[in-house]
Formats: sequence, structure tokens, C-alpha cells
Amino acid sequence: MIFAGIDAGSRSIKVVLYDAATRKVVGRGIAEQGVDQARLAEALFDQTLEASGLGRSQVARTVATGYGRGSVRFAQSTVTEITCHARGVWQTSPNARTIIEIGGQDSKVIWIEPDGRVRDFAMNDRCAAGTGRFLEMVAARLGVDLCKLGEMSRASARPAVISSTCVVFAETEIIGLLASGAAVADIAAGVQKAIASRVSTMAMRAVVPPVYFTGGVALQAGMCRALQHALGAEVRVVPDPQFTGALGAALVAADQAD
Amino acid sequence: MESAVNNGCCPEHGAPGGSNCRAVGPHKVPGDSPLAWFAGMVGHCKAHALAARAAGRPIVGIMCEYAPRELIFAAGAVPVCLCGGDPDTIPSAEAHLPTNLCSLIKSTYGYLVEKANPFLEMADLVVAETTCDGKKKMFELMAEARATYVLALPHREDDPDGLRSWVEELRRFKVFLENRYGVAITPERLREAIELMNRERRLRRELAELMKMEDPPLTGRQLLDFKSIISGLPDDLDQYERALALWRPRERSGSATHDARGQSPECATARQQPVRVLLTGVPLVHGAERVIEIIEANGGLVVCQENCTGLKPILEDVRADAPDLIRALGEKYYHLSCSVRTPNRKRLALLAQLATEYRAECVIELIWHACLTYAIESFHVRRLVENELGLPYLKIETDYSPADSARIATRVAALVETVRARTAAQHKWLSGVG
Repeated sequence: MIFAGIDAGSRSIKVVLYDAATRKVVGRGIAEQGVDQARLAEALFDQTLEASGLGRSQVARTVATGYGRGSVRFAQSTVTEITCHARGVWQTSPNARTIIEIGGQDSKVIWIEPDGRVRDFAMNDRCAAGTGRFLEMVAARLGVDLCKLGEMSRASARPAVISSTCVVFAETEIIGLLASGAAVADIAAGVQKAIASRVSTMAMRAVVPPVYFTGGVALQAGMCRALQHALGAEVRVVPDPQFTGALGAALVAADQAD
Repeated sequence: MESAVNNGCCPEHGAPGGSNCRAVGPHKVPGDSPLAWFAGMVGHCKAHALAARAAGRPIVGIMCEYAPRELIFAAGAVPVCLCGGDPDTIPSAEAHLPTNLCSLIKSTYGYLVEKANPFLEMADLVVAETTCDGKKKMFELMAEARATYVLALPHREDDPDGLRSWVEELRRFKVFLENRYGVAITPERLREAIELMNRERRLRRELAELMKMEDPPLTGRQLLDFKSIISGLPDDLDQYERALALWRPRERSGSATHDARGQSPECATARQQPVRVLLTGVPLVHGAERVIEIIEANGGLVVCQENCTGLKPILEDVRADAPDLIRALGEKYYHLSCSVRTPNRKRLALLAQLATEYRAECVIELIWHACLTYAIESFHVRRLVENELGLPYLKIETDYSPADSARIATRVAALVETVRARTAAQHKWLSGVG
């Protein structure tokens, strides 16, 4: 029996198709988020099904998660990304006790029980400074590709200090750093350090090891190291971090059907 | 059709379901329901205030539950709560006040700048108090346009000198009112006012206690409307009685027949039993009910509010038979567990008691941005809730702007999912050992 999870995030939509009988992911798809969120999610869902040689009638249940979960009309239920990320990480890394998730426009710390249930969570409020949006802004400002930004940070010996807690003010701060001749690598590393520091504050110095890192920003080279440094704990990146939420949603769909 | 802006969530309440969200507030109730009466609260108060003023009774603005309405009534005046709940008056306030100040203070002051609060426009006097530095300094600015009288509240808890000083403060306030309005506040008049306020507190308390039921007849949002910015209005008291007669469980017929919650949009769309929430922190004044609406549109039911728009100010009455009525007033008000008190152990004890009495499954704390005392005290509240009560705790720091509604909705929904998963695991464990 096939279960589908749709993670309608702020920057991209992810679909995971999960076969409960074989306990395997049988299909995956990702697309940019846009204006017509309902249609985009549906188109991606159909594409992913087709690429996996499946039809809608074979999907027993669909759960939507993420910021735009309410717009996924073909889903039978919606579950928050907090529950879905916890479920997704627990599936691939059952020893996880703390999860750091950094997505397009928010970041979260999730503490989980040994049985995979969410014990507690913290989430950034209104500000985007601890999120992927911050990295996007910096990449655009430095004129580099988002993927290159992480690699560039490796060359830094002295990460720049970026203290603004607001993306808009941080941009001003970065313009100032560039004007004063700071190295691009130091700025890239400084931004990662600032994001890691925001997440560490949110974790209230209470991370319980093992710590796993998920969400699209986990793909950034150097981000995991910056987090380890800020948290003072070993941090592991989960496999395919950008799909964890959708995988969790598909697993929740299977759990709900039980 | 959902737009990119609301992200498929109801723009007002953040509930998933987009334009299909039927969470339209608490007012869609039959016209003769006590709820419909309180939906017209501002209109009733305005009519009452205009009539009182025409009859020569002064209007006295108050901004805090420490202000003893009894003394104002006994002076022949009408106390009116002026706390602002409208985000739209904030920009005018920011011409004089810092941006980084709590919405409640800015909204209240913005009404003054815009001359938009009819009650503040009618007010002859505003009773100010020292329950937060933001308010205290705002009152200095307000004093340029209105007569204000500052009540200085000692901040140390359980301090006999503090209580003595507070009682003396109330005696001075009594003399001030007597001189200003040319009246004598006799023990008889004061006792009458105390009895009126005690009656109102008792009725509102009994209404709040209906939420102890397994299947409460109201939503927390509906209960929140059972109050008035002018206390003691006879029609309001009648409606409190009616509501109690309607919803109090009767021995034979049960309570389901006139259930108002069943008609609420939250209940109509809910697929599962709601999670019982104890809401604490700052007050949700008239117009600033967004967060409780989000909580109840996302699977929660606020069964108890430990704040100044909930149970806190109505739990204790004033001893009407006391030989020294001013002292009796002082004692009642001195016991209020505002976060300005230090240490504020009474609030923690009250939270523990209410969580048990109302069988809360989680605690949500609401803090207006820049409310330092509640923000810092949340450290103790979280520790109490998680470690001693063993319940999940969620802190929501926000202001009057709806910009973060979708995010608050996600956090509340995740809390509700956590509570349900926890309850399911407990049941599994119990059936395992049983």
C-alpha cells in the first residue's frame, strides 16, 4: 500500500511516496514553491506518481505538512512540520534525541522521546535571521550561487561578526563589511555562524545528544560544522535532509491508516 | 481560492483550511443568547456612560485590575476600563512612545492621540498605577491631556510593610476622590459597592467554573466575552445569571441541551476532542483576542485563563463585613499575583492549583512583546509546568499585528499533536500494565 507525504514549504514543495509493505520510498519529487500553491502541489504530486509508475488510485492516504499544508486540497489530513520532521528523522535515525531543522523561512529545535514522540519544540518567531532565507539574501548580495556560498565559507580563517537579529538589518551590516574590505569567505562563514548562534539560543543550551540536522539548509557545506561549534555537540546530517518533512508526512499517513 | 499571502490558512485565525475556515468568532449565536448580549458590550457601556455623565456622574478611566472599582463607585463615579486592543491606533502612539513597547500600552495611548476612545474622551480622571514601567511613564504623557492619579503599588510579595503602605495609598485615594467629587465615601456606600463587585465576581467565577466540566458548554473565546469594560451593570448581572441557569449542569437534564460551544465554528469543524489548555500570561483585552481564537481553531480548548481578563482578578472577594473596609479592599487587591510582584510565588501556586482543578493537558503562556516582567517570569512558569506539573508548555510572544498568525497556528497545532501523541502513549502503557 502506497502512502504519500506532501511538504508544502515556503521555498519548495516536496513529495515522498512510501510503500508500507516493503517499507521503502518508491518515489520522490521536488519543485519550487510559487504563487498558485494548490496547483503546484498537485502538479508535482501527479508528476512524481507518473515517474514512479503509479496512479492516484494506488495511494491509500495522503498527508500534507509544511507552511502551505492548508492549500493541499487532495490530502486527507494535515499535520504540522514539527511532528513530520520528528517522524521522518526517527525513521532513518531512531537514536536521535534532538533535531535541528532549518528550512526556507523558519528554524526549529525538536526534542524527541526514545519512542519517537515529540517531547518539546522551539521555533523562531517572526524573524528570518536564523533561516534559509538569510543565506539566500547573502548569496544574492555577494553575487554567488547559493550552493557555492557554503563551499566558500571553508576558506575563512576569521568569520566576520554579524550581530543583527534581522535579515534586513543584517543585509545593511553585510554591505558595511563589504565596504570595509572584508573577505567574501569571512562573510559567508560569519553568516553561518550567526544562523548557528540563533539556533543555539533557541535550543536554550539544552540539546540532548545525538543531535541530527535536517531541512534544506542542512545541504549547505559548512553549516553543520557551524552548528556543532555553536551547540558544543556533535551534529549529524540526516540522509536527504530536504525530504525529511515529506517522508515524515508519508509515514504519518501510514500510521493514521493503521 | 487561497492566495500566496494566506498560504492556505485562514488569514484571521491561521487555521489550516484556507477560505473554508469557518472560525468566524464567537458571535454567531441565537439573538436571545447571553452571548449575543455581550457581543453588544461596547454599545451598552457607551449608552450607560453617556447616561451617567448626563446625570452628573463622572467617568473614571482605569487600566489595571489593581484599581479598586469599589472606591470609584462609592464616590458616585463610573469606572471604565480603557485598555486598548486595537492595532490600528498604535502608529499614532509611536509618534511619542518607543516602537519597542507593549502593544497594550501603545494602543491605549494611540486612542488618546486619535481621540478615538469615547470612554477616554468622556473620562474626567484616569487612575494610573505602577504595575509596569511602560505604563507608569506613559501615564506621564497622558497626564498632559487628562487628569491622572497614580496609585503606587509596593512590589514585594508578602511584605507586611508593603500591605500597610498599599492600604494607606487607598486611604489617600479615597480622600482624593471625596475632595474631587465633593462626596463622602461612607462605610455604607463603600459596602454597597463592595457587595456589587463581589456579586459580579462570584457570577463570573461560577461561569468560568463551567469550564471544569468534561465537555464544557462554552469555548474559551466565548467565555472571554462574558465581561464588560464597565462593571456592575444591572443588565450584565442578569445575563450572567441567565447564562448560569442555561449552562449549569442540572441534575436530571444534563447540560447538552443549550450547549453554545456546539454551535461555535471551532467545535463544528473539529474532528477530535479538543485538548484542554490553561492560558496564562498577559491579558487579552477587548479587540486583542487573536491568540485565543488561533488556539481554539487549531485543536485547543482554553478551559482556564490565569490572567487579568480571566480568573486572576475574580478569584478573591472583598470582605464586606470587615470593620475596616479600606483595609479589606487593600488585602484583596494586594493579593493579586501580577508579574510586577517579586518574587511572585502566588502566581505559580495559583497556576498549579488551576491546572489541577481544570484538568489542563498543557499550558500556553501569552506574552506581549516588550512586556519584560511576564517575559522574564516565564522562566519560572516553564519550569513549574514542565518539571512539577509534568505538562507541555508553549510560550507565544507576539503583539497586536496579525503577521505571525500562521506561525502561531503551526506552533499550537504541533503542541496539540504532541499532547495527543502523549495521551495515546499513556493509554497504551496503561493497557500494557493493566
